[in-house]
Amino acid sequence: MNKSDLKDYAVVGKPIRRVDGPAKVTGKATYAGDLLLPGTLHGKILRSPYAHARILNIDYSRAMKLHGVRAVVTGRDFPGVRYGFMPQTRDQLPMATDKVKHYGEAVAAVAAIDEDIAEEALDLIDVEYEELTPVLTIDDAMKEGAVIIHDHMDTNIAASSKMHFGDVEKGFKESDYIREEKFTTQRVSIGFIEPHAVIVNVDNSGNVLIQGSKQSPYITWRHFCRAMDLPLGKVRIINPYVGGGFSGKHEALDLDFAAAALSKKTGFPVKIVLSQDEVIAAFKQRHAKHVEIKIGMKKDGTLVACECKMIAEGGAYASVGPFNIVIFATSGLLLPYRMSHFKYEAHRVYTNKPWCGSVRGQSIPIARFAFESLFNMMIDDLGLDQLEVRKKNSILSGESTINKMTVGTAGMVEAIEKLGEMIGWDGRKKKKAPYRGIGIACSPQVSGARMGGHFGSSAVVKVDEDGGVCLIHGGTEIGQGCDTVLAQMAAEVIGVPVEEIRQMEEDSDVAVLEAGMFSSRCTFWAGHAVKRAAEDACQQLAEIAAPLLEASKDDIVFKNKTVFSRKNPGRAIAFIDLVRNAYYTKGQPIYGRGSYSASNIPMPDLKTGEGDVTNAWAFFAQAVEVEVDPETGRVKVLKSVCTRDVGRPINPMLLDAQLEGGTVFTSGQALYEECCFDEKGRPLQNSFLDYKMPTVMEAPENEHFDIITDDPNGPFGAKGAGEGSNGTTLAAIANAVEDAIGVRIKDLPITPEKILAILKQRR
Amino acid sequence: MKRPVELTVNGVLYKLEIEPRRTLLEVIREIIGLTGTKRGCDRGNCGSCTVIMDQKPIASCLVLAVEAHGKNITTIEGVADHGHLHPLQEAFLEHGAIQCGFCTPGMVMSAKALIDNNQAPLESEIKEAISGNLCRCGGYARIVKAIASVKAKS
Amino acid sequence: MTYIRRLPSFEYVSASTVKEACAVLSNNKGKVKILAGGTDLLVQMKERKVVPEYVIGLKQISGLNKIEENGKAGLRIGTLVTHHEIARSPQMQENFTCLAKACEKIGTPQVRNLGTIGGNLCNAGPSADSAPALLALGAVLTLQTGRGERQVPLEKFFTGPFSTILEEDELLTFITIPHLKGKSGSAYHYLTKRTAVDETLVGAAAALSLKAGDDVCEDVKIGLCSVAPTPIRALKAESKLKGKKLTDGLIEEASRIASGESRPRSWAEYRRDMVAVMVKRAVTEAWHRAAANKKGSGK
Ligand SMILES: Cc1cc2nc3c(=O)[nH]c(=O)nc-3n(C[C@H](O)[C@H](O)[C@H](O)COP(=O)(O)OP(=O)(O)OC[C@H]3O[C@@H](n4cnc5c(N)ncnc54)[C@H](O)[C@@H]3O)c2cc1C
Ligand code: FES
Ligand code: FES
Repeated sequence: MNKSDLKDYAVVGKPIRRVDGPAKVTGKATYAGDLLLPGTLHGKILRSPYAHARILNIDYSRAMKLHGVRAVVTGRDFPGVRYGFMPQTRDQLPMATDKVKHYGEAVAAVAAIDEDIAEEALDLIDVEYEELTPVLTIDDAMKEGAVIIHDHMDTNIAASSKMHFGDVEKGFKESDYIREEKFTTQRVSIGFIEPHAVIVNVDNSGNVLIQGSKQSPYITWRHFCRAMDLPLGKVRIINPYVGGGFSGKHEALDLDFAAAALSKKTGFPVKIVLSQDEVIAAFKQRHAKHVEIKIGMKKDGTLVACECKMIAEGGAYASVGPFNIVIFATSGLLLPYRMSHFKYEAHRVYTNKPWCGSVRGQSIPIARFAFESLFNMMIDDLGLDQLEVRKKNSILSGESTINKMTVGTAGMVEAIEKLGEMIGWDGRKKKKAPYRGIGIACSPQVSGARMGGHFGSSAVVKVDEDGGVCLIHGGTEIGQGCDTVLAQMAAEVIGVPVEEIRQMEEDSDVAVLEAGMFSSRCTFWAGHAVKRAAEDACQQLAEIAAPLLEASKDDIVFKNKTVFSRKNPGRAIAFIDLVRNAYYTKGQPIYGRGSYSASNIPMPDLKTGEGDVTNAWAFFAQAVEVEVDPETGRVKVLKSVCTRDVGRPINPMLLDAQLEGGTVFTSGQALYEECCFDEKGRPLQNSFLDYKMPTVMEAPENEHFDIITDDPNGPFGAKGAGEGSNGTTLAAIANAVEDAIGVRIKDLPITPEKILAILKQRR
Repeated sequence: MKRPVELTVNGVLYKLEIEPRRTLLEVIREIIGLTGTKRGCDRGNCGSCTVIMDQKPIASCLVLAVEAHGKNITTIEGVADHGHLHPLQEAFLEHGAIQCGFCTPGMVMSAKALIDNNQAPLESEIKEAISGNLCRCGGYARIVKAIASVKAKS
Repeated sequence: MTYIRRLPSFEYVSASTVKEACAVLSNNKGKVKILAGGTDLLVQMKERKVVPEYVIGLKQISGLNKIEENGKAGLRIGTLVTHHEIARSPQMQENFTCLAKACEKIGTPQVRNLGTIGGNLCNAGPSADSAPALLALGAVLTLQTGRGERQVPLEKFFTGPFSTILEEDELLTFITIPHLKGKSGSAYHYLTKRTAVDETLVGAAAALSLKAGDDVCEDVKIGLCSVAPTPIRALKAESKLKGKKLTDGLIEEASRIASGESRPRSWAEYRRDMVAVMVKRAVTEAWHRAAANKKGSGK
């Protein structure tokens, strides 16, 4: 971090320990799977063995006769209202009714007095299916006369996006060098270690209490109420700790609906914890993508035009697919480099595979993989310098993109410069070790995209009569550290230690829930709300303090648990005395509130792709060093250097950890992770043994550097940051492999077999 | 048929009647009620159910509780001493080695088994020791640093 | 593909002698499963691939968890010795390097503390890592029933993926490995997709001894796993090397022969290529270890 930029903050910007750490490191932190209520029954779900089939009949009479079974529900036990992220793509039901559209889709659920009986009962449910032809690939889905998956549609295309800014044809004409390549990326599993879990109780009046492992309880709540045809007030959602989300735990899932229906039927709480097998085989994955991309540049590397066609294979339901394909272009291609002409066409298709939505980094990692790979190839073709060309094209503070996205602060150039310094770029060409390579990539990151529907953030700061502070916000602690970062902001404003800020489980009856934990949003959006709530509480106290200190209320400062006037710091009162005064003398409880909405941003136009999506852009540059074993083709990621402009990191340690984690996570997709299916659409992996994710042995060394730009739009200058390295790692690894052995792999994962096949051909 | 099983967990003797089909993990979580030990996969792949039995880290999802009869078992709840965190736990906090925390109990147990037997482990030994613990948050580098910072047995 | 469940119910019998275990086996043929470390069996039961009525635990049988000298026959390893114990034994690391290395590779630390060498063989997976090492070391198994015991070389043990010559009422009790003669050394090399917790794609073990004073290969055995329905010896590659002066070129040739002896099913071409690489690495390391072996004998 640039030392000169360190402001005089007490806790903001400091690498303090996480507030949820002590509970987590002692095993006391409670996750959904740890919860029990009196009388809890245990639920299990029967899943389809077919990828595509009509359900002709379900007979569960045998299951009901098993001792200990209390209830069975099927798709018919729900109101039949479809839910989804957008009105035009509401295509999901709590459980299949007449048709299953992917392997592992829920068809029935059982509640029993224990888990063993519930499992046994699944074998006693007889389902008659009529197998249908499964649609498994983009070709299957888009070909003439394709089998149509959704009866209410006449195509398998769930959504499309077309954009054209400038004039690409003209752009290519003006270019000195044009190259076009195809890239394909695979489905990967999300891979959180905590499988989905929920406990639901429906009381005698029909009030529903959901406690689940939810990344975005708001989304679950809305989906749930819609599909169950209930007003929001009938459903309360309380969120325990979440064992990893990575975008896999936003929506209401079959287990949530099943547990609710079973609880309603039996009158007892019902708990359902999935096996990791079910999660890996049948739950959300990253889209598989075909990307055709063409770039035109000048001899000196100046980027002129880019044209891209993308098709995303997304499985049985649309989920956030329609956003995914737009974000691919807006956040994935149109930044961080300036360009004058851009054309894009994308489709998101249904197939009979588990549905895909966002996964850590949304579609940005894939877009950056395609763009930065081709860009890298072209820079090499022209014999130019990888860093210089990237710097030359990087967007600058205050500039706008061709689709009218405005960039406030932008430290991309500085980040690239620093990256070069840290990896010794200039001296490196001479002493390059054999089979070692360095790859570079850059990426932007939104600070929470503005979405349709509820999008504002709010927070309440309650100051107790003994000076304690209770912070209520709508963010969800999923490991990203939001409770710590938000507490740091509140503590900074109120002038109390972070440890004295209490936070609670997120509760829809207490807090206004955040729209969700996505697109690196929470620090920026909830951060603003928390800061404002804390300021509001301080404002209320300042009014009481002003006459006591004979000062103007605007001069009152809160610091180190004391309150004083900026003009006369010598005369101070203890924070606790001021609070007591408020409560006991004035009879005034202190209750600050704050909210934030980026309502200055018009909803981005999903059709044209024009307009702002966020109030601040963060920028990331990464260099990855790899070593390739030329005999086996195995790639080892040795080191990652990440430089970035995130405005101001509120907690640099947590930021580093998240970015390191993002690199490890994404390196799996780069090198070996892949969800495979057989010719009938049945998954070929259901465990962490067949589905390979990085272990400690795969984790590289890390170095970091923050360019401080103190974004005026961000709370304490912060921008969204959590997913930054996901955008850069795929491309950086692909570029590094090429640097190491001259092999360019354009279809992920970059497996040893592929590397060796090319090396062999060449020998 | 249930069988009598005696387990000493975190120094407390539990005299239980247990069905042979119960895994040690199920007994710890569901019968004894210590939920700090996590179930991530139930197949021995992820390490989140790691406990220390007879000084060794084991996957409690792959052990029949009846076969643990008479054994001494330490779970994550037995690592801190009356509210005083173990130096390893302090190190995890200090180095930012925790994110979602779901893998953390297993990581701490693997690490504790290592440093209980080896007071100055090499980095390679540390990595080996936690190579059976998956962390999807990806915090491995920090976890390794945290463990390395704890030089001696407490 | 099945989703994992909790364990099915069964009766548990803790045997205190081999005889007792054999009796339970022969009285309930087809309904019993032996439980050693449980790292394969319990997973298979959770997957409902096996649903035994009885499970016999062997852990109370004394003597099966030791590594002992057995006179001229060599080193006798009890079936219940864990991978961890083998991997960490200095004697193993020095004299039976390939086996120590193979056991160090298996699963995870948490699995190695439970899983046994006997369980690895009896499970008979094509990718059992201890098998190539034990094949290279010329291991002989002691198999026991109520009727008596027999000695079977490991090469005769596997009959197909997950199947062996074990009778329904038969138990593996000991694995004996003869001491390597003369200046000898061994090594195990394997390939996986990632570094830890991963099934072996290609595994190759080599154990060889040199004629006193030079680089002539007196004897060599090469074991492979994951490249055929069962772990196998690469006999043709062995005879290419036997009695010859070792050179990098000769080893390269033998490795290609080994590659031809393998019959992998998936990723066949890549795996066959990798057999050559792993065999080359294993033989080369075994050679260098033998050459550096000052004692002139494995023991
Ligand atoms: C996460 C994980 C990773 C793994 N990784 C590897 C790996 O990398 N390489 C590898 O080779 N294996 C691996 N395994 C498989 C397993 O750990 C080994 O095969 C282990 O050695 C099995 O031994 P066990 O004592 O646990 O056997 P058990 O599960 O107890 O038994 C296995 C089978 O052998 C039978 N059996 C056991 N002992 C005897 C006996 N004495 N006589 C007759 N029959 C007997 C049992 O009835 C059962 O059918 C892995 C397992 C897991 C869970
Ligand atoms: S739950 Fe035991 S290893 Fe995953
Ligand atoms: S901290 Fe989330 S899995 Fe490790």
